[in-house]
Amino acid sequence: MSAPWVELDPTLVVVAAGTTAVGAVSGALGCFAYLRRQGLVGDVVSHSALLGVVGAFVLAHALTGSASRSLAVLVPGALIAGTASLALARSVSNRTRLNDDASLGVMLSIFFGGGLFLLRWVQRQSPPIPGHTGLEDYIFGMAAAMTRADLWMVFSLGGGALLLLLLLWKELKVFTFDPDFSRSLGLPSYRLDLLMMALLVAGVVIGIQTVGVILMIALLVTPAAAARQWTSRLSTMVLLAASFGAAAGAGGALLSASEAGLPTGPVVVLLATAIFALSLLLAPRRGLIARARARRTLGSTPPPAAGGAA
Amino acid sequence: MIQRRSREGSTEPLALEVEGLTVTYGKEPALWNADVRLGRGSLAAVVGPNGAGKSTLLKAALGVVPRVSGRVRVLGEDPARRRRLVAYVPQRTSVDWDFPTTVLDVVMMGTYGRLGWFRRPGREERAMALGALEQMELADLADRQISELSGGQQQRVFLARALVQDAEVYFMDEPFAGVDAVTEQSVASLMGHLAQRGKTILSVHHDLATVPRYFEHAVLLNRVVQAVGTVKEVFHRGNLDRLYGGRVPADVPELAST
Repeated sequence: MSAPWVELDPTLVVVAAGTTAVGAVSGALGCFAYLRRQGLVGDVVSHSALLGVVGAFVLAHALTGSASRSLAVLVPGALIAGTASLALARSVSNRTRLNDDASLGVMLSIFFGGGLFLLRWVQRQSPPIPGHTGLEDYIFGMAAAMTRADLWMVFSLGGGALLLLLLLWKELKVFTFDPDFSRSLGLPSYRLDLLMMALLVAGVVIGIQTVGVILMIALLVTPAAAARQWTSRLSTMVLLAASFGAAAGAGGALLSASEAGLPTGPVVVLLATAIFALSLLLAPRRGLIARARARRTLGSTPPPAAGGAA
Repeated sequence: MIQRRSREGSTEPLALEVEGLTVTYGKEPALWNADVRLGRGSLAAVVGPNGAGKSTLLKAALGVVPRVSGRVRVLGEDPARRRRLVAYVPQRTSVDWDFPTTVLDVVMMGTYGRLGWFRRPGREERAMALGALEQMELADLADRQISELSGGQQQRVFLARALVQDAEVYFMDEPFAGVDAVTEQSVASLMGHLAQRGKTILSVHHDLATVPRYFEHAVLLNRVVQAVGTVKEVFHRGNLDRLYGGRVPADVPELAST
């Protein structure tokens, strides 16, 4: 006699737990990136992470002789590359006439291009570096490669990020809503800005194994954008976005396991996009249908926010 | 210089003391060697043409933007040590009113300074916020999503947040800009009440016509401070012609001539 969970493939359990956690963490952290309009920043971080991942692999091989694709090696590389590209983008836009978006775009190209270049170089080494196959999975993601150790990395980094978010909730909220006012309260805006960046980087880095550097931005921004449709409270938005991300992550892992040949990362992202599309359509008040209905009845009843000069 | 003697006859520290304040954005000086001294209970308008550094004066005094040089004292101390005695009402249009939050929540942000790191607002903070909303006649909008507010209501929410800060010195950036007549009245009476209770207000103001009606003091600013004093002393045709380079907006009534 056996309970149904015993029959679950243990690899699938690890992968599904991992994608669920990744979805929840990036959904929650993505809300702040969304509200601060920093989607592009997240995209730069994730693309740049490729160079960090491959670089860390090469460095680990050169130093220890044995190459490792465990997240414990690759995550620090991704963290460093992601942070470095942001820091460089900022100093470029401070020192030149290039605006923020342009300098971010330049850094994205340089780091992602560099990552692709280094990846090709690694693959062409002879004798081949053991373990190099699979590195290219970071471009589009390979959730199935997730090990138990990787899962702990995801849990600890993601859990740490969420804990910080919870502890500094009101500071991050007022800083996001009204930065000048938060400065007048004496909150250190430079450090809060750095912390926000660090949280974003952490969210990106733990997700790139699952969905890959190219699609990672979708997992950050889409659940947040979907959640925003349903609620007007930040706390509810973060919880909803985390749930949407978790649902997409879990669904993606299960779907791709049941149907041979379905890639997990893209399925996760497509599920998140489906949730977003439904939210855009169906949400009360902000949804397209609700707004079309409100417009139709506009002639007879005044809108809720009437009165006063703009 | 505006200074009042306290009842005991000794001079109490000025509410705001700005000396030689210079701020630059890039290479352009936004504010040059500004001196402003306000006694407690001053109700002062900052007036001047566009780009004169009016908001910058407020932000630099608050430490929101860095200063190149100069000294700021709030009630005789470094403003960093007087944060809880200072309230700030930024320009209404400086924030995204589609941010997912409620009226009550924004007003409670006024308690964040007192709460300090990590602590969450509780029942007491909630009660303070509700009281401030009542005072601004917004009590029935407490749970309203902020994107549903009119411009005047947004302004009153910001003022309620400043009231919750329960400060001694209030910096306000165009609290009268783009508001309805009801809000204009309630902003004006709020300022009057605060000043009567010995609070100090320094407010950027655009509408020259209403300066004599709403303010007792004026700071005439065009990157440099041209004059500071009571409205009677400094808010006259000669000074304003100089301030606006002879292009004083036509709607300024009954200005005393020099």
